[in-house]
Amino acid sequence: MQKMATNNIQNLILAATLIFLLAPLSVILYILVYNRRKIKHIEEKAQMKLAFDAEIVKTQLEVQEQTMQNIGADLHDNIGQLLSLSSLTLSSIELDDPEKARQKIEASIDLTGRSIKEMRLLGKLLQGDQLLGVGLSEAICHEITWIEKSGKYQVNYVHEGEMPANTNLDKDLILFRILQEIINNIIKHSFATRINIKLAWKAQNVELHIDDNGVGFNADSLPAAQMGMGLQNMNKRAGIVGGQVFIKSQQNEGTQISVIIPYP
Amino acid sequence: MSVVIFFELICFIIAFITLIKDANFVWRSMVVFLLITCITEITGRWLRIAYHNNQWLYNIFMVIEAGFTSLMFGSILSRYINSKPIILSGLALLLLLYAHDVFEHGFLIYNDLTATVMSVIFVLYSFYYYFLLINDEQYIDLKRSPPFWWVAGTLFFHFGSTAVNLFFTSLPHVKIAGHNITYFIFTALSIILYSCWSYSFICKKWLRTISKT
Repeated sequence: MQKMATNNIQNLILAATLIFLLAPLSVILYILVYNRRKIKHIEEKAQMKLAFDAEIVKTQLEVQEQTMQNIGADLHDNIGQLLSLSSLTLSSIELDDPEKARQKIEASIDLTGRSIKEMRLLGKLLQGDQLLGVGLSEAICHEITWIEKSGKYQVNYVHEGEMPANTNLDKDLILFRILQEIINNIIKHSFATRINIKLAWKAQNVELHIDDNGVGFNADSLPAAQMGMGLQNMNKRAGIVGGQVFIKSQQNEGTQISVIIPYP
Repeated sequence: MSVVIFFELICFIIAFITLIKDANFVWRSMVVFLLITCITEITGRWLRIAYHNNQWLYNIFMVIEAGFTSLMFGSILSRYINSKPIILSGLALLLLLYAHDVFEHGFLIYNDLTATVMSVIFVLYSFYYYFLLINDEQYIDLKRSPPFWWVAGTLFFHFGSTAVNLFFTSLPHVKIAGHNITYFIFTALSIILYSCWSYSFICKKWLRTISKT
């Protein structure tokens, strides 16, 4: 009887010890597996950071490229024309007729003055991508000045809320580039005459709303290939900073685009 | 020579070779602790054969074990937290229980209550270390992490010995092949403990060599 009891205790002790050994073994194995997942997660995070940095650099380059295109167009369409005209006016001056010569000189002075004014605007445009350092709203104002100069569009800009003290330059850059893409699309495809832009600073995010009175498009029926790189890029860019782009458009009813990005 | 003493000696030699020049005082102290462990085991074996009672010796050793193991846990946990309060609280509790055990049955009988609680405390420290390790955002190569393997050995030993500690009073009658059952269990646990510790000491030396190059 006592031997049986001893055997029972013996089996109990052995089984209990085995269980008490299996428990830490499971914990250690779990930690090793978890640690392996951790390194994968860290690698993924590093890759995402690299992709994010690459996207920021790409965006910066695109903003600069856009600025250069604007400057090129301005030089060709405005300043070039003004200077050609003033050169033509000056070359047609006949000194024998002082009255006519005076009128032509005055016209040339006026043309040169307008050229200088244009050059000043161009200087500001050249700083456009650097204006983000001053503030997103300031950069948007300069972009609007450029659009209005064409005389084809009536632009209304509303700025709501207080810009946070801690700004995020990466997010400012992305939002500014998205705005540029939207404006490019409006200029290229919408045939709009009126553009409304609203920048709203909310508690946790920044919202950019743009609508136009252009021809619009049927967003649901548009095949992916025709969505265009611009729209796809907007979604991708907003996505990398945790934001979203909402597009609402109907044929002949204009387009409304909202970009919401967590901020700062 | 028993299997346990053999593994202890091997572990002591490895500790001596790998840790004697270690910059960390706490890790270096493991050499002293393992030397004391070997002396205690050899003396304990001799006392058991000559006088049939070596429990008082292990009561003395328990104090040394509690001190050195707590010191190591303090050092390992200090990477993540201020470990002093929990380590000192653990030691204070053990001191109280030790005094209670000695007052209860004298110094010649093994303080099994203190031993059980000490194991529980070290198991809790081990789990806490693993919890902090999991929550650490920084990646550590665990295969070559000295603290990880040192804690693994300690956890296996103290968690595995819980069953023996709980039934300690009933065990003297349980014998297999002429040996007390605790002999086999502690032999197996000691092999795991000293293997893990030896590996952790090798990792420590290896890390030092890497950082030098």
